[in-house]
Amino acid sequence: MGRSIAIVEDEPLIRANYVEALNRFGYDTRGYGSRQEASTAFAMRLPELVIIDIGLGDEPEGGFDLCRELRAKSPTLPIIFLTARDSDFDVISGLRLGADDYLSKDTSLHQLAARIAALFRRIESMKAPASSETVIEHGPLKLESERMRITWNNEEIPLTVTEFWMVHTLVRFPGHVKNRDQLMREAELVVDDATITSHIKRIRKKFIAVAPDFDAIETVHGVGYRWRP
Amino acid sequence: MTLRRKLLLVALCTLALPVAGWLYVRQMETLLREGQAQALVASARAVARSLVVTHAPLPPGGAGWYVQQAANPITVDGYGDDWAPLTPWSQALGKRGKLLLAEDRDWLYLYVDVRSTHRTRADAADANALAADHLILQLRKGGESRRYLIASSAPGPATARPLDPAVQRFPEWIATQWQEDGSGYRVELRLPRALGLDGLGVGIYDAAAPDGDAQAADLRPLLGYSAELSHELAQLAPENVRARVLAPQGWLLARSGRLGNTAVPAGEQPGWFASLVYRSLLANQLEDAEPWTDDAPRLDVHEVNAAAGGTPATLWRQGEARGSVVLAAAVPVEQGGKVQGVLLLEQSSRAVPLLANRALLGLLATSFGVLLVAGAILLAFATRLSLRLSRLRDAAERAQANDGRLDGQMLARFPMTDAQDEIGDLARSFERLFEVVGGYTDYLRTLASKLSHELNTPLAIVKSSLDNLEHSLADRDALPPEAAPYLARARDGVARLGTLVRAMSEASRMERAIAAAEPEDVDLAEVVRGCADAYRPLAGTRSLDCLLPDGPLHLHCAPELIAQALDKLFDNALSFTPENGWMRLSLRTVGDEAEIELANQGEPLPAAMQGRLFDSLVSLRDKARPGDVPHLGLGLYVVRLVAERHHGVASARNLEDGSGVAFTLRLQGMPRQRL
Repeated sequence: MGRSIAIVEDEPLIRANYVEALNRFGYDTRGYGSRQEASTAFAMRLPELVIIDIGLGDEPEGGFDLCRELRAKSPTLPIIFLTARDSDFDVISGLRLGADDYLSKDTSLHQLAARIAALFRRIESMKAPASSETVIEHGPLKLESERMRITWNNEEIPLTVTEFWMVHTLVRFPGHVKNRDQLMREAELVVDDATITSHIKRIRKKFIAVAPDFDAIETVHGVGYRWRP
Repeated sequence: MTLRRKLLLVALCTLALPVAGWLYVRQMETLLREGQAQALVASARAVARSLVVTHAPLPPGGAGWYVQQAANPITVDGYGDDWAPLTPWSQALGKRGKLLLAEDRDWLYLYVDVRSTHRTRADAADANALAADHLILQLRKGGESRRYLIASSAPGPATARPLDPAVQRFPEWIATQWQEDGSGYRVELRLPRALGLDGLGVGIYDAAAPDGDAQAADLRPLLGYSAELSHELAQLAPENVRARVLAPQGWLLARSGRLGNTAVPAGEQPGWFASLVYRSLLANQLEDAEPWTDDAPRLDVHEVNAAAGGTPATLWRQGEARGSVVLAAAVPVEQGGKVQGVLLLEQSSRAVPLLANRALLGLLATSFGVLLVAGAILLAFATRLSLRLSRLRDAAERAQANDGRLDGQMLARFPMTDAQDEIGDLARSFERLFEVVGGYTDYLRTLASKLSHELNTPLAIVKSSLDNLEHSLADRDALPPEAAPYLARARDGVARLGTLVRAMSEASRMERAIAAAEPEDVDLAEVVRGCADAYRPLAGTRSLDCLLPDGPLHLHCAPELIAQALDKLFDNALSFTPENGWMRLSLRTVGDEAEIELANQGEPLPAAMQGRLFDSLVSLRDKARPGDVPHLGLGLYVVRLVAERHHGVASARNLEDGSGVAFTLRLQGMPRQRL
């Protein structure tokens, strides 16, 4: 039996599609139509990963509430927001609540599966010792691609999977300007320019929270971003 | 016509005030006059009665011959030269004759002028004298009378021959002078006053047209100015009144008194202006003074005739002195029911015009003042009204220009909604109207993003179903090869639908992103240079110049937003620039603002679009070709939002030489946020 995944989604057709697809990918997936239903089930047993729609039935912010509830129960449980909403505000609120990633419903099932796999891989690799081959070091930055973990002066930067991939893209070729399209492709994300900008901003903030003088990510106006060599 | 002018016109209705006052003053003046006239008639009646009661020497009533006072010495010569001053008052005699009578201290003169072209001449002594042209003269004293025949066959002295037997003291012969010319003949004679005649008869006999008795004479009593009667009158007449006694035919019989100045102190003599005002505004029905002269022997005026008919009459006429009026009252002097004469009293009056003038001038001054005050009040009122209305209009126009929102900053309320009057009602109606319009505009604005949000879910169903279909069949190798193209087409359709839905919600996402952007200190020149460098490869065959200031241009702004706005402008410019055309990106400072301008070669902007170019969902582009990403006209709207976020403006204009267009972004630094 595969890993257990819970999908909380009020739209039955989407829920069914996702459940069937993830089951086909080898996960043990269950769908829940409302916050109450999900809460009841999670009280019995926590799944290993939760995918939550923000708007649940007549609770437009029900997904956020559920996320807060789950995060209180388990600080490490991977949570992915999946929603038709794609504005920055929702992304920011969701991530601030401790969600690990945020995907729009535009995302194909392939991407979803890849994202889930990445999250699980990260959790797995956290438990295993670091393997030296996959580590990229650049000044105070240390990037372990297997564990999807980034440290700055040995302090961990809490990045989401999407953010990790973005940083990974930049760091692999320091000094090269990566435009937004490239970043999007690498992160397997289909969002518009503004969302890329806000992702970069959030990444900078996370670095600055650890190292106030951080300025390694440079904006090349009109083109994109690059990692200062 | 503005409200103020209209109200000023309305203020003119206060002019009715002086008009009403003027009518009132006239009425008052008329009443005063009537009162005076009645008083004068009453006193005239009293005088007339007194004349009768005191047996004043009044002539008998009926027609008479009036004897004028000879002003100049009269020579009896048959010529009328010395009669000239008296001629205007000649008395008609028969059909063709005129009679003039005059007297001096001793003599009574007689002058007869007869028009006659067919003469039959004979001397008075001739036997057939009565059949020829002749005059009959009849003298009367008491009950006795004697007739004389006057005729002459040649000009010169002629002697009148008596027709009746001798009467005591009446002369036997009377010397006359006879003169003639082509138009007729004239006879002049004189009689001693000592005869004491009380009646005189004159008859004309024309042989060419005989009518009636050849010896007939028109016998009438003699009338004349009587010193005795004047004396009597002087005792009876009131002071400051000119009294005249007239025969019923208007002949002056007696006279006394003068038109005095009624008690008006010299200081209150009306000036020429007051006289003019009086004459032009108040004094109607004033008769001319001409026929009323003091020394005229006859007053042939309507009032005298009316009084001779037994009816008292009054008249206001102009006085001799400036600004004065004269009231004349004529009453009959009756004895035993028979009108023997007419008593005429004339009173000069200045008090009336003075009073009326004062009232009128006072009224004019008052009403003029009232007019001024009313006009000023109305003007102030109208000004306030039109100010309020124009404020309302300005607010409405501003709101209209802002899609129903009152201001960019959403000024809290419409002006004057607190007013209690109709303008307040209007303002409240406007406010409600614009609330509705604003709500509608907001609804339209958000419709696309709401719609796209709702479309996302079914889109996701279709998309995930297609994924599932493909995977589940592919896993089992059950996907028929002929189904693959259909699946691909379905995916393609879904992808396009997804793009469309994303584009629809782009505006609202952009608005939120722009509102959330955080400013930082940057060198704007760097940003613009970076953008220009990035655009060059995209420009292809078109040239792109970049004009930057020499030094750095620091601004507290959101560079991502500015770069984004430039992206949109560049994208826009690129699609309108012809192959091998030029584009020019420039940055400069204007005051404390930074101005970024992107000019490009191309067609000028249509005039109709100029104001709306930066509105949402407005596009100049042709319809997208099939398969293109739909163009929703959001680009320039984003540019405008970015400019507004920087407290600046975005504008577009045609270049002066007509070679292209320029889009300009004016930016100010964003306010620094407190950390």
